[in-house]
Amino acid sequence: MKLPRILAISKKQFQTLRHDKRTLALMLIAPILAMVVFGYAFGTGNKHAKVMVINQDCGATAQKIIDHFDTDTLSITYNNDTAAAKQSVRNGNAVAAIIFPPSFTADSHPVGPRPPQGAHLELYLDSTEAQQAPLVSSQIATALQDYAKDQEAVSAFAVDTGYAFPAAKNATFIDSFLPGIMAFAVTLFTILLTLLAFVGERTSGTMDRLRITPVTETEIVLGYELAFGIIAAIQASLMLLVATLAYHVLVVGSIWLAALIVILVAVDAQSLGILLSAAAQREGQAVQFLPIIIFPVFLLSGIFVPLQSLPDWLRPLAYILPPTWGIQGLRDVMLRGWEISQIWPILLVLLSFAIVFSYLSIVGLKRARN
Amino acid sequence: MTDRVVTFHSVRKLYGSFQALSGLSFSINKGELYGLIGPNGAGKTTAIRVLTGLNRHSSGDVTVLGHQPQDPKLRPLLGYMPQETALYQDLSVEENLRFFGKLYDIPAVELNRRVNDLLAFVDLEKWRSHVITELSGGMRHRASLAAALIPKPRLLVLDEPTVGVDPELRANFWQRFSEMQRDGTTILITTHYMDEAMRCDRVGLINHGQLVIEGAPAQLIHDANVSNLEEVFLKLAKREAPQ
Repeated sequence: MKLPRILAISKKQFQTLRHDKRTLALMLIAPILAMVVFGYAFGTGNKHAKVMVINQDCGATAQKIIDHFDTDTLSITYNNDTAAAKQSVRNGNAVAAIIFPPSFTADSHPVGPRPPQGAHLELYLDSTEAQQAPLVSSQIATALQDYAKDQEAVSAFAVDTGYAFPAAKNATFIDSFLPGIMAFAVTLFTILLTLLAFVGERTSGTMDRLRITPVTETEIVLGYELAFGIIAAIQASLMLLVATLAYHVLVVGSIWLAALIVILVAVDAQSLGILLSAAAQREGQAVQFLPIIIFPVFLLSGIFVPLQSLPDWLRPLAYILPPTWGIQGLRDVMLRGWEISQIWPILLVLLSFAIVFSYLSIVGLKRARN
Repeated sequence: MTDRVVTFHSVRKLYGSFQALSGLSFSINKGELYGLIGPNGAGKTTAIRVLTGLNRHSSGDVTVLGHQPQDPKLRPLLGYMPQETALYQDLSVEENLRFFGKLYDIPAVELNRRVNDLLAFVDLEKWRSHVITELSGGMRHRASLAAALIPKPRLLVLDEPTVGVDPELRANFWQRFSEMQRDGTTILITTHYMDEAMRCDRVGLINHGQLVIEGAPAQLIHDANVSNLEEVFLKLAKREAPQ
């Protein structure tokens, strides 16, 4: 073993980096990017659960209990219309509606005999929000306890829980987590396969041979999209099968609609892969894109961290990631049982991503002729 | 009716600030076997990429079989064999040929016939079901030639088709090129081998993106007053780049 030879190998590696600025940048920037995104995504905790509060209490007790809510954890909007508040929950605009009835103070501080079940408040909950729904329940329990501690003559409190989506009232973390993982896995593997396939077409010379034939750039992109769409349909079927058989995941809505969303997510990923391939000269460079894709998608698209919990400045980034919409759509269909009439805006967004990315891919391929 | 199949007139091609072609002019006649020779970096491959429409030229005029190089009508008339194998490695020889054939909208019966004829022509009938990675280097070159011939091109463009090919296969290739020329195909070939250039009807020597000299090989040797084409090459390829 000779030191000069070891040093020669080390030096060669640094010389390579000097000529490959992209790898150098990735080595320096990617870990910091990962730290920042991880830090912000998880560091903020599970916060800002949107709740609608309808305070009809004729006394002051309800307001005192509301004052015990942690406003960092719950993002409270006041409303006077119970039906409208419940509709907001059913539309996915709020996690819960908390309704204090007119007799709340009277029932909790009875002058005469106490009512048999104490004072009731109504909780109308979207249990499909598996990360934030338990947060709301525990906040109410804590606030009621804290208030009761300060009072001596107080009746028992009772919470009547109603569910916005009764079929998913027992939804657990895994029910909400698996749709996220499905969209993530399809995005990751489709981008990887497309990137490698397109960079391979260029480096092997087959792209030049293709361009000599009458095939157009549009036909090339659509041909790839069709193939990856079919592959995604097979992937979606297998994943939904495993999810339902092995994990007994809730599928309240149409399984076909869920599969359609997975296919659209794959087409988005595929066209994004073609777009990115233009910036990679060889396979090694294509692989370098992966951490840049994995970190944001994994952390910002709502798989683990609810979008409402993200810092305000980071949230717009989440909305420009197609999987964010795919995951929301999958949860809407699988857990809430929403139909096409309710999730068409999400389908439209996913389709728009596909059209924009495909158009840019075609333009990129045509520009390569210059 | 012109007999010119290819015409380059004062063609320039810039890659950023680098001028790969600096006023290249040459022409190829119908049925001709034309050799483009020149040192590495002279602009041979760029000329081919412009001719085939793979890259747009920056200025000048290019006409190929009566069309602009980017004209979609030109594509079914062109066959192109790049330097590298340029076939799908995980497809069989036959699958590669059928794939490219379908891109030319060749009807199924005709495609069957062409695939069989070409597999016989390049002597790969026994290897038709083997994927490209299972073939030797020489076989891959032959498969690549077959793919270039699938549209029955009127102009066949071969970019250094015999680089890394053993002498027996080179001889074999040239026999096939001669057969195709006899059948009326016009052929443009770039090569570094002077014995191959000697087989061409006419040769164009380019350097620094310009045509230095052009003519029948024997005539070039005679005019330069040297004994072989290699000496012509060495004499003229040393010239400095134009200012």
